[in-house]
Amino acid sequence: MLKLIKKGAEADIYLTTWNNKKTILKIRKRKEYRNKILDNRIRTLRTIREATIISDVKTFGVNTPIVYFVDQNKSEIYMQFVSGKLVKDLPEKMITKICKKIGRMVGILHKNGVMHGDLTTSNFILASDKLVMLDFGLAQRTEKTEDHAIDLRLFKEVLNSAHVGIVNQAWSSFLQGYGAVVGNSTKDRVVLHVQVIEKRGRYANVV
Amino acid sequence: MICLGIESTAHTFSCAIIEKRGKNGKILSDVRKIYRPPEGEGIHPREASRHHAEHSPQVLSECLEKADVKITDLDLVSYAAGPGLGPCLRIGAVVARSLSSYYGVPVYPVNHALGHIELGKMLTGAKDPLVLLVSGGHTMILAFLGKRWRVFGETLDITLGQLLDQIGRHAGFASPCGNKIEELASKSSNYEPLPYVVKGNDVSFSGLLSATKRIIPKGLEIACFSLQETAFSMIGEAVERALSFTGKKEFLVVGGVAANKRLSEILQSICDRHDCKFFVSPKEYSGDCGSQISWVGLLEASKKAGSKLEDTFVRQSWRLDTVEISY
Repeated sequence: MLKLIKKGAEADIYLTTWNNKKTILKIRKRKEYRNKILDNRIRTLRTIREATIISDVKTFGVNTPIVYFVDQNKSEIYMQFVSGKLVKDLPEKMITKICKKIGRMVGILHKNGVMHGDLTTSNFILASDKLVMLDFGLAQRTEKTEDHAIDLRLFKEVLNSAHVGIVNQAWSSFLQGYGAVVGNSTKDRVVLHVQVIEKRGRYANVV
Repeated sequence: MICLGIESTAHTFSCAIIEKRGKNGKILSDVRKIYRPPEGEGIHPREASRHHAEHSPQVLSECLEKADVKITDLDLVSYAAGPGLGPCLRIGAVVARSLSSYYGVPVYPVNHALGHIELGKMLTGAKDPLVLLVSGGHTMILAFLGKRWRVFGETLDITLGQLLDQIGRHAGFASPCGNKIEELASKSSNYEPLPYVVKGNDVSFSGLLSATKRIIPKGLEIACFSLQETAFSMIGEAVERALSFTGKKEFLVVGGVAANKRLSEILQSICDRHDCKFFVSPKEYSGDCGSQISWVGLLEASKKAGSKLEDTFVRQSWRLDTVEISY
């Protein structure tokens, strides 16, 4: 059985079975438009990185799908199927509440020197009893404030564009959860750095 | 309604006249004069503004003549109030204010970036697209939501246009260098690895710029080819991410770099993969022009009155996502 359930930006997600278990197969297919050398480099690197980090972060207590099998040559990862709803598709009130949990999770990652790299509301699944974090293709081991701030900035950008109605509540709820884990002084430092990055943006209010 | 639009944000001084009937616009004339810096150099704001000031009377009268319109026939005047180079912006604003106060025509300050998008929509017929705006001043992925264009991804440092221009200037060409780079790139197919930086929906080009300069000794064609492949793939990935996140079924690319064929090819192939309709603004109107300013002026005039003269400032830093849209 192989059923396409999502054509993502950089990978296709299939539903299949692995040892009789419902399984997600993530394939980073070759992109015709991309130069072959560049394409191979990106796909291999991200597959290995995702598979490694998705397992590593479990030891910090972050919920992620279990990796069953990795095929480096085909850029394929077989992983646990998590049933639930994407946070992006939940009602706004729920999203605001869950942002605190997301903040806490991101805090745990950062505290342990990992950045997620693609923090959007479609990379979290609310399963029956827990929140599960997905998609570690752009994740990185890093202790740098700059990198941690990039995670926060992206999440803020997503709230600002896709969840306009709740952006302020959701953002402060996120920061509450984040601060509870990393401590207020670290939180303030990272948030301040988010502003530094925003100021680098084109035509940001610098005058 | 007939509107004169004046564009002077950077190297182009342009006047254009558009007639709007119902929801349709017809470009009656669009005259441009482009400031060319010496080879290997970029735009000098003072020199560019001097160029604009010297050529503005001629461009304006040629524009009226071509459209067969008298100044007294104009219903409104709009000018690009930002973002852009201060000295250049002021020239356009002065022309607009003079016409407005002397002839008593309502005046509308317009956001330049918004002009690229709205003109692109008008000319291609796209209704609700995800937009990629790529020019010397912008690299942004946007979608319209709740009265504003929201940014779904953008460059964290320099723009795609700046990246190409700076490599071009480094190699001794005059800005804008996009054409020259495209031409050189088409002569090679040797890819040299360069840094590929996508951060979520955002991209960063500064590292790519330095690394490309370093590989120029291996051959300018190789460098241009590798640069285009890397930079455009980065943009492509950011677009794919935004497409799959927003689920939009239309995609529009506008701005000076939209004229690049290789970029179009990449974006087209992405749209095919996502069952999305692909629109690219016509080459003639993808770069800076008066039409984009005129069209936004007309759209705004359909909902609100012109600005008071004392409110007709220019704003060098004016982000598109701060503009509230009423039409």
